[in-house]
Amino acid sequence: MKQNKLYAFLVPVISVIIALLIASVIILSVGKNPIEAYSIMIVGAFGGSEQIADTLVKMTPLLLTGLAVGFGFRAGIFNIGAEGQMTMGALLGAVVAMNIGSVPSVIAIPICIISGMIGGALWASIAGFLKAFTGAHEVITTIMLNWIAVNLSSFMVTGPLAVGSGTPKSPEIADSAKLPVVLKVQASEMSIAIFIAVVVAIIMYVYLEKTTSGYELKGVGFNPYAAEYGGISIKKSIIMTMAISGALAGMAGIVDILGVPPNRFVGELSGGRGFDGIAIALIGRNNPIGIIFAALLIAALRTGSNAMQVQAQIPDDIVSIIQGIVIFLVASERIVYSLMQLTKRKKGSAAA
Amino acid sequence: MKKIILMVALISLFVVSAFSLKVFMVTDVGGLGDKSFNDGTWAGIEEAAEYLGLETAFVQSKEQADYIPNLSNAAKEGDIVFAVGFMMTDALIDVAAQFPDTYFIGIDIETTEVYNNIATYLFKEQEGAFLVGYLAAAVTQSNKLGFVGGIAIPPVERFRYGYEAGIKTYEELNGKTIELIKGYANDFNDPKKGKDLAVAQFAEGADIVFHAAGTCGNGVIEAAQEKGAPYYAIGVDVDQDYMAPGRVLTSSMKRVDVAAYDAVLSVALGTFEPGNHVLGIVEDGVGISPMTYTKDDVDPVVLEEIEILKNLVKEGTIIIPDTQEALDAFIVPEIVF
Repeated sequence: MKQNKLYAFLVPVISVIIALLIASVIILSVGKNPIEAYSIMIVGAFGGSEQIADTLVKMTPLLLTGLAVGFGFRAGIFNIGAEGQMTMGALLGAVVAMNIGSVPSVIAIPICIISGMIGGALWASIAGFLKAFTGAHEVITTIMLNWIAVNLSSFMVTGPLAVGSGTPKSPEIADSAKLPVVLKVQASEMSIAIFIAVVVAIIMYVYLEKTTSGYELKGVGFNPYAAEYGGISIKKSIIMTMAISGALAGMAGIVDILGVPPNRFVGELSGGRGFDGIAIALIGRNNPIGIIFAALLIAALRTGSNAMQVQAQIPDDIVSIIQGIVIFLVASERIVYSLMQLTKRKKGSAAA
Repeated sequence: MKKIILMVALISLFVVSAFSLKVFMVTDVGGLGDKSFNDGTWAGIEEAAEYLGLETAFVQSKEQADYIPNLSNAAKEGDIVFAVGFMMTDALIDVAAQFPDTYFIGIDIETTEVYNNIATYLFKEQEGAFLVGYLAAAVTQSNKLGFVGGIAIPPVERFRYGYEAGIKTYEELNGKTIELIKGYANDFNDPKKGKDLAVAQFAEGADIVFHAAGTCGNGVIEAAQEKGAPYYAIGVDVDQDYMAPGRVLTSSMKRVDVAAYDAVLSVALGTFEPGNHVLGIVEDGVGISPMTYTKDDVDPVVLEEIEILKNLVKEGTIIIPDTQEALDAFIVPEIVF
């Protein structure tokens, strides 16, 4: 057991190190110094309160979409509609947040977050129902629902919700719905959103590892037929899983509006963070605690890469390359695993 | 007087280059390599920087959340910071307030107030698009034209207003009826989306599709190239005629490079003027490409008419609509060629 935990931790760490090494060859080939590049990257991601704020702000939605996708994976559901669920959560939550002006923050904020989660959960449930009752595969339906969400949000933000000239945007949300800011440096602000997201990750960990219901859910993911034989309703489990996964994605959408200026719904311009959730769940090996670190890694790489562009003129594509290699290595962990086995066996035979 | 100005300019040039300004460009999510908007601005910055011996660098933004950190980082390192693209309006205003000693230039950005350290450049896209619309209406054989927009933001819509006004002008002056098929990709980055829309519009019978969709529009040009004659695409922002020689009828140009060049020079020469600067046909800020590959496909009479229309716009005889209301109210003036 202990061995397994160590191994789960080692695979992503080794993958990141290998990815950084490969990327440094690429940085060398474009005529830059990789050591300088990486030090700028680290300083750019963690070098001061402003940088840490930027990194944590970036990390928040990534962590929540990572949890959304990871939760689905654990129950054997491949939810790749986090993008659409995030958008719908943001949309529904934002509409509530715009109209909640007279309510004090202590009540307004939870109501807004819950509406965002409901938005995501309802959207995901459509795919859940389709899978449970017609067998339609969730990969297909969630992708299709993504597009509906994209177009619906563009319509809302250029039509019914549109205000002012300029970038298509909704009205600003009520002040009482804005998340309290804990850190403000120049134009960068960090709200309490990251703490909410980390708490959600811990709750998910406890649920999956310490409760009967969580155990049932993993059982369905591990072997649905055996689980059904054991008295668990697969249909109910599929719908519940999709709904919870969607609720987490919806939460990613709404905290991004409640906690990040300009505190408006701006349509589907999320930069693909719903899809990033898939990568993050993979790197974190679907473990909520692992996902926290995976989200931090990706957020730090991205914030750091912005600094790398400014200070060393190293193209930001380098981060896509690093991220790609990490995912590739984690996904093909068998290679790493076999290598580890091989060295073990060698050691074993040497001892014999 | 002129000599004095020239002297002052030369001296300030000397002083400034001794300090060696650093120019930063922060792209929107479209990024460099779009072969239109961002690339055009960068070309203008590079040209000015080479002329003055300045240092340049760029930062690409991947999502909207990058705008504020990227602009802030650039402002710490640079003396002149370009924010390229309408989507950055709010971030630009927020960040500029934090860095009063840095000059900020917004391309395609309009501010409602004047900020001391922000100069923005806007374009009368409708004026170039008007000429392009007239040309497309004259060339179409199926009497159906297409339009692919990125996101329906004002600069994109101004292209459409001008295009529609140009088509209407041709219709009324020549007694032709033309149908316009419109579509939006809701995106500026993905050529695939632009291509899908163009293919659909071609299938509906359009034979010329005008795009105002940044990188997305590269797919429109690709679709026209695959279709072959007599189908055409119409490019946007820079002269895109070369991208599929013969299959890009023309390009509705928006000289972001001219704006960027002027902006850098204005800071270096000390003639920086905060506020909005609007460039139209008169300022050479917009126009129609020289049609290097397609001139012979078009009736010379039409080309002459376009030249005449261009002068009428320059003189202010024709005002091209820049809002939906103005377009609805647009009355084609009586023109005798």
